[in-house]
Amino acid sequence: MDFKFGEKEEQLRREIREFAKEELPPGWLAAMLEEENSDEDWGFAMTMSGKLAEKGWLTMSWPVEYGGKGASLWEQLAYSEEAAYWGIPGVGMGIGGVDWVGPSLMMFGSEELKKKHLPLIASGKPDGVWCTAYSEPNAGSDFANIRTSAIREKDEYIINGQKIWTSAAHRARWCWLAVRTDLNAPKKHQGISVIIVDMKSKGVTVRPLINYAGYHIFNEVFFDDVRVPSTNLVGKENNGWYQLMHSLGFERGSVAGRGCGYNRRILDELVQYAKENHLFREKEIRHKLADMAVLIETQRILACETIWKMSKGSNPVYEPSRDKVFNDQIAERLAIIGTGLLGMYSQMDPLQRKSKWTKLKGCVEALYWLFPGIAIAAGTDEVEMNIIGQFGLKLPKSY
Amino acid sequence: MDFDFSEDQIMIKDAARKFLEKECPKDMVRKLKEDKLGYDPLMWQKMADLGWMGLILPEEYGGTGLAYMDLVVLMEEMGRNLLPAPFFPTVALCALPILEYGSAEQKEKILSEIANGEKVYTLALTEGSATYEASGIELCVYLEGDDYLLSGTKLFVPYAHAADYLLVVGRTSQKGNPEEGVTVFIVDAKSPGIDTEVIPTAAHDRQCEVRFDRVKVPRENVLGEVNKGWDIVEFILQRGAVLKCAEMLGGTEAVLEMTNNYAKERIQFDKPIGSFQAIQHKLAQMLIEVEGLRYLTYEAAWHINAGIPSKLLISMAKTKANEVYQRTCLDGVKIHGAVGFTEELDLSLYFIRTKSSEFSLGDGGFHRERIACELEQLQPLFIGNCL
Repeated sequence: MDFKFGEKEEQLRREIREFAKEELPPGWLAAMLEEENSDEDWGFAMTMSGKLAEKGWLTMSWPVEYGGKGASLWEQLAYSEEAAYWGIPGVGMGIGGVDWVGPSLMMFGSEELKKKHLPLIASGKPDGVWCTAYSEPNAGSDFANIRTSAIREKDEYIINGQKIWTSAAHRARWCWLAVRTDLNAPKKHQGISVIIVDMKSKGVTVRPLINYAGYHIFNEVFFDDVRVPSTNLVGKENNGWYQLMHSLGFERGSVAGRGCGYNRRILDELVQYAKENHLFREKEIRHKLADMAVLIETQRILACETIWKMSKGSNPVYEPSRDKVFNDQIAERLAIIGTGLLGMYSQMDPLQRKSKWTKLKGCVEALYWLFPGIAIAAGTDEVEMNIIGQFGLKLPKSY
Repeated sequence: MDFDFSEDQIMIKDAARKFLEKECPKDMVRKLKEDKLGYDPLMWQKMADLGWMGLILPEEYGGTGLAYMDLVVLMEEMGRNLLPAPFFPTVALCALPILEYGSAEQKEKILSEIANGEKVYTLALTEGSATYEASGIELCVYLEGDDYLLSGTKLFVPYAHAADYLLVVGRTSQKGNPEEGVTVFIVDAKSPGIDTEVIPTAAHDRQCEVRFDRVKVPRENVLGEVNKGWDIVEFILQRGAVLKCAEMLGGTEAVLEMTNNYAKERIQFDKPIGSFQAIQHKLAQMLIEVEGLRYLTYEAAWHINAGIPSKLLISMAKTKANEVYQRTCLDGVKIHGAVGFTEELDLSLYFIRTKSSEFSLGDGGFHRERIACELEQLQPLFIGNCL
């Protein structure tokens, strides 16, 4: 056993800290999940994407030929953790460009799609920004119930239907879309495919959905006779369910490193706040913060275990779900404890983070109002628990 | 980073599991619960022959010279099988500090006797205050000629009724902080003036009250330095707590396994109850917690093993172990339904030990306080370094 990161990873951490110091505004403390909300934040996020690309960090674990550095999974983990701790925005290239569109394309995409899209994502430019459209009004946890159809007509697919909760659709150039290509398949998991859609295509309409705290993060997306070249099909027609399970695995797997970096930052901020405001001497408060420290260290070490399994060449099945649900539980507790610590000041509108009454740049309020969204994205806690039960404990399917 | 066991560790794990399954099945655990001594001296000798007591003692004392991490692996197996024996007090609470702080003569004599299974040792630390704070040490010590005289009462001393020797923590000075003025003595359990009484704990795990009435201890039986004994106690707290975590981890693994198996076999409404989400999600949460405890324990242990013990990680591991052991047992009992409420179910043997494990070397409050102290001293990265 060895529980230390290597010198390579430690060096990378130092470089990222240096980068954060130089490139982020003084006192920067990003709130999670909200970069797509305002034009100002999005503009800054895109600038940072470009700079991360220049550093070679944006897609560091990809092979060199696709715009990566061939970095190890450990370097990738150190990068995710640090970037989240320092609140560096623009790491994702929209929703999923870096974390699952790229890796899924490498696994299933045609040479043509790989050559076109991977360098675009790796460039950190707006033309490499993605949204991911899975959910529909009648297909939430029951994802296989999707109805949006793509019907082949010569060398095109014609897409009709509606997607919902599509984060960053209003910022994205491309859509990673799950569709039904065989309307008569005997089982609903069959007949599903993944298709790439240019968001500038005729017939694509994005309608904002505003969250209860006033954020514009997700959208409804309507597809009305949208014509897409058939070469935009990812992998095999009707093989989408299998491919999507991999994409969702990549998505869940991306949560842990980022989550523990971010949670650690919030905890550090809260400890500092408690110390400066004479709250740390209260036993109840310091013990709650101690509990959070235990949880976040546990999260970190579990994330490392998942990466270790992957680095040994095995394909962890339930571990990403474990790490994802654990992050959700920690974020929830952190948000509740954090708002409790800020007391009356936690009532501030998280979007007014420059207000003179706002503490810690609004990051605690933002976490409080956004953690339910984090918990639902990529599979609700209940769906993740089903996966852990079925694959981690070999229990019978429960739904 | 590497989460793999070494070849030695895999061998220790396999051998320990085989031995304990054969020599210490659950009916043996039940039998020993009612036994006067509380453990089986024959089994103890076999353990010594396997090299367990001397596992990490140097070869010159008859040990195998393996590392702390290897002992962690062994303790996990003992916890999994609920071995009733004075192994933890002898090895974790006494052999380790004697190896670290003992004089050449003390090590020569004591460690060899421990390694070959001849002698049982235990630590007499806590008193009526029932805490691990230095302020709780009130046992009076006077120097009379060349001997110390010890008077006072120690509580919750594991296996004192069977011990040949006791490490006794006494107060030798009232000056300064409570941490100053504490000394550790190596005391022959047969010395006149020692009176031992087994405390009727729920787990029947042979914790004792030990009364000292002007017990004579020769000067050369001081471990380490006079008035510097709290360093030794701190050493024991750290090394011992992680070994206790490993034992508790083994217990949670066994409980999760038997509960998961039961959920697959028990049919209600024509289905295994594990197919119901109310049960399945509880089990999934147990798995998350048990795996978290496992790697947190290994992480804390690895740092000790590497010579860079982290007070923070050690207290994190014990806080986690206390929570997870209790939670896993409680949910395990509940998932079993009414049979979970019986003595007949093996799970009950784990459940009945929740409190003795929790309060051994620090409960949640004690360790949270230590974590908080560490957090208070840490300068956050975002101050000074950047931004």
